[in-house]
Parts: sequence; C-alpha cells; structure tokens
Amino acid sequence: MNRVALILGALLVLPLLIFLAISFRYDPRAIDSPLVGKAAPTFSLADLDGHVYQLPESPARPVVINFWATWCQPCIVEHPVLLAGARRYAGRVDFLGIVYQDKPQLIREFVAQRGAWGPSLLDPGSEVAIAYGVYGAPETFVVSTDGTIVERITGVVTPQALEQILGGLL
Amino acid sequence: MRPRHPIAVLVLLLSVAVAGTGTAQDPAYDALGLRPPLGLDSPKLDEPPAETPLEGDELDRRTEEITSLIRCPVCQGLSVADSPTDLALAMKAEARQLIAAGYSEDQILSYFERSYGEFIRLSPRAEGFNLLVWLAPILAVLVGVWLVATRVRTPRSATEETSVESDPELEPYLEIVRREVGS
Repeated sequence: MNRVALILGALLVLPLLIFLAISFRYDPRAIDSPLVGKAAPTFSLADLDGHVYQLPESPARPVVINFWATWCQPCIVEHPVLLAGARRYAGRVDFLGIVYQDKPQLIREFVAQRGAWGPSLLDPGSEVAIAYGVYGAPETFVVSTDGTIVERITGVVTPQALEQILGGLL
Repeated sequence: MRPRHPIAVLVLLLSVAVAGTGTAQDPAYDALGLRPPLGLDSPKLDEPPAETPLEGDELDRRTEEITSLIRCPVCQGLSVADSPTDLALAMKAEARQLIAAGYSEDQILSYFERSYGEFIRLSPRAEGFNLLVWLAPILAVLVGVWLVATRVRTPRSATEETSVESDPELEPYLEIVRREVGS
C-alpha cells in the first residue's frame, strides 16, 4: 500500500517539479521573440525636433532599431557601441532609436552630452514598443531590406554581435 | 531612415486640427506641440472586431477582466490589471481601446501574443505539454480520494485483527492489555 502511494505520489509530483524547474529558469527577456523571422511592425514616429521618421514595409537599407532610455544604465554602456556602429555602417545601415518611457528634456540633455547615433524617436503610449514585444530597455531589433526582423538582442549590444548580424545582411 | 520635412508635420497637424479628432495624447508629444496620428502604421489586428463596441461601466469591467488574463512583462507573476508599472498601464490602455472598438477577448490576447509569445498569457492554453498544468491537480485529487478511501478501510479489516490475535508470541502481552482494560 505504502509503496503504491509513494509511486503514485512521485508520478504526480515529479512532472510538476520538473515543469516548475524549467519554467522558473526562464528570464522573460531571454525568451525567443515570436517576431524574429516575421515582418517588422511598420511605424511613423517623430523625433524631438518634430521630424517624422518612418519604417516602411521594405526599407532601402537594413535598419537597426534600438529601444533605449536615459534612466537605463545598460543603455549608457551600449551608447558608444551604437555610436561606433552608426559611423562604421553610415550609408549602408540605418540606425533608429526609439526612446522608451522617458521625458523629452532628459533625452535632449542625454544626446547633447553623449552624442547621437541616430534619431531619438518618441513613442506615444509605448505603442510601438508593445508591438515589438519590448520588455525593457535596451532592446535591439535588426530589420532586413525585405522588412523581416532578423534578430532581437536583449541587453547591451556588443560590437561583435553588431558586426556578425550586419555582416550577414550587407 | 527617411526624414520628412517639418512641412509634412505641419500638414499633419493642420489635418488633425481641421478634422478635430481626439486620439490618445502623449505628454511628450504635447510638449512638442505634436499631435498623433503617429505611431504604428501596421494594423494591430488583421481581422474586424468580433463583438460590439463597448463604453462606460461595461468597458471598464471588460478591460479589468481581459487585462487580468494578460501577464505584466516586467513583473513577477502580476497581471496587467494589477500592475502599476508604466508598461502595464500602456498595455491596459491599448487593451481598453481595442475593447472599446469591439475586439473580443481572444482577439486581444492574440494581439499581445503576436508580440510577446504565449508567455504573455497568465493561463497557458490547455494543449500539449501545458495540459499537465490543468490535469495534474485533478489527478492529484482523484488519487488522494482513492488513497484515503482505501487506507481508511484497511485497519478495520478482520484479517489484520485476526493476524495480531493469532500470533502466539503476542498472546501474553494481549492478555495484560485485556486485564488492564477490564475486558
């Protein structure tokens, strides 16, 4: 009797424990984006000076879209990487920054102090961030010329990652 | 990308002003004197609303109901309805707009799932490996009931009592017990 109860209990509890162990191991931001390999949501957003930038269905050049914020420390770390990347791939790749939940004044100060690697676009109501499934800043998406999201990077972008991804597209 | 000149923005502003529409405002855009429509060009959903548009109390109630099924992406186990974070509030506002337009619960969950994956559902779909989560508790209860039922019956069985009394080695002790209890 006790052995039967033990076996039944183990059969019930073990799969649950395994399931929970696997589930709790996940960092939500590390979960693969369902958007990779699919068409990038298109948008029109304005920068701080009112210029409107558009991501069309088929961009002329590959596009790096980076969601960032002035309050985000990793964004400060990756800023020089994006500055160097934008310089290196100028004319071959477009870099678009979408500011995630931030204030225009702080964005102006940040850009004035550290320089800009691309336009800082405002995203009213985080509509575009939600459409891209953004969990937090920084997150980077690379869009190919056929409008497909080829990569999503959570956290700080490294020069190596940028080179590897963009090298495959150019 | 493709910068449009400020004239384009001016035309946009004028067209919105003439139309007199009142789409959702963002303080950041207000500060710049800009007015939507700016944002997503892609349609949020490819299909027409499956239900009738809602407003007032009914809209509030459905918004709470549906957003309680959506996981707040930046929280630990909280729904969008319960979370005070900026992202959750933005998601709630989007869900509210969709509900007001008549989109159904399934359509709205599918919209968020398209961007965030199944993780965004607080209750995973009852299919495949997920079935374990739904069936295991029922199985556990059934097995528990069966175990209790069988174990409660066993000590009262005559077999067990007989086997104790028929053991000659225990007889002296049983005799003492009988004397103690006066039987």
